[in-house]
Amino acid sequence: MDIDVKFPLKPGSTAAEITLRPGQKIIAEGGAMIAMSSNINMTTSTQQKRSGGIIKALGRMISGENFFLNHYVAGDEGGKLWLGTTHVGDMDCKELNGESLVIQGGSYVACSEDVSIDASWQGFKNLISNESMFWVKATGKGTVIFNSFGAIYTIDVDGEHIVDTGHIVAFEEGLSFTLTKAGKSWISSILGGEGLVCKFKGRGKVWIQSHNSSSFGSSLSPKLKPK
Amino acid sequence: MDTIFKGLPFKFDCKPDFGYLTINVPQGEMVKVEAAAMAGMDTNMEMKTKFKGGFQRFLSGESLFINEFTAKNGDAEIQIAPASPGDIDHVYLDNESIFLQNSAFVASGSQIDVQSKWQGFTRGFFSGENFFLIKCSGKGDVWFNSYGGIIPIEVNGSYVVDTGHIVAFTEGLEYSISSVGGYKSLFFSGEGLVCRFTGTGRVWIQTRKLQPFLYWLFPFRPSKK
Repeated sequence: MDIDVKFPLKPGSTAAEITLRPGQKIIAEGGAMIAMSSNINMTTSTQQKRSGGIIKALGRMISGENFFLNHYVAGDEGGKLWLGTTHVGDMDCKELNGESLVIQGGSYVACSEDVSIDASWQGFKNLISNESMFWVKATGKGTVIFNSFGAIYTIDVDGEHIVDTGHIVAFEEGLSFTLTKAGKSWISSILGGEGLVCKFKGRGKVWIQSHNSSSFGSSLSPKLKPK
Repeated sequence: MDTIFKGLPFKFDCKPDFGYLTINVPQGEMVKVEAAAMAGMDTNMEMKTKFKGGFQRFLSGESLFINEFTAKNGDAEIQIAPASPGDIDHVYLDNESIFLQNSAFVASGSQIDVQSKWQGFTRGFFSGENFFLIKCSGKGDVWFNSYGGIIPIEVNGSYVVDTGHIVAFTEGLEYSISSVGGYKSLFFSGEGLVCRFTGTGRVWIQTRKLQPFLYWLFPFRPSKK
């Protein structure tokens, strides 16, 4: 692993405990830092490395991520960086070796210096699926860290597998998906509360979250004070 | 681990997401518990409500009352459930002091003095915490809770903690508000201001923060007709 990361307090209060080598640089989304050694230096930028810039930043923003990224560089003795997330939930990571990982917009946490994060267009099918409309694509060499709402479990797909649209955290690029109905008929799919689901095809791993944040938000809605 | 044997016997359940505390109180002993946190107890436990900390505590927004539970006619057990989901931790004070974030106090032994402390205007305003901290000092157990998991960090020299993530810290530490990165970081990093701890001691941090959760919840509010 390029980033030395441990995940204590899984699965509900997970934090990422990152040990940086001397001079190692990593990139994280804004607001993720909980605590760090005082010799780690942080800078804020719209770009990763010296490429991309504003256009890439706009893409990220549309995907539900931050316009700005924070770059952390360890000093001569290395250091420790703790990252957290907004939601009650879990974190996981994947080592990339030139391939890509597609991540639900909002679930990206951090990555190695040589991994690039771009908005990923998954076609018009996302517009009707109502949830996780946007995706980011992590490509390059190094580690990428992502988070979920609820616990994370993985499924190795070989052939086909159906996942509810609001429960996908990430999937490997060897997979493609189509939107389909959950039941036999449209009426039972909609009345059953499942609506549209993703049918994955191909070979690869899917990371799935045990809970769906928009369902949780909607369940709290009637108890909240009106705007 | 020896701290457990110096104070009252207790156990934690359902950590780190739903930390829940059970204390075994020997006959004649008393424990102080945050108001409304008692979830269950033996029938020979007697409760007394104490007005603690006076006006400062009223200002600090923390509930005005600490309840005192005394075991009468035999040993008794008490179960305590903090208000927010999250972790719970314990420290044994041996004539020392510990500072807790305003809502972190759960319970303490009878010989612990619990006070609100004004932490200064700048730190109060920018720390993401309340203007008041709770200072626990004396000899005995202190139990405290958080929103999210608790991680203890040993500080020797200095350490940076994001505002709003402090749960507790030992007396030997000082902290100040400072910025990280340049001017761009101040406005756009989502980090901006941080708490910089200096000295030698321990700071407990929480892995989640309530404020971002509330921002996320906001769009789910129903609209007024």
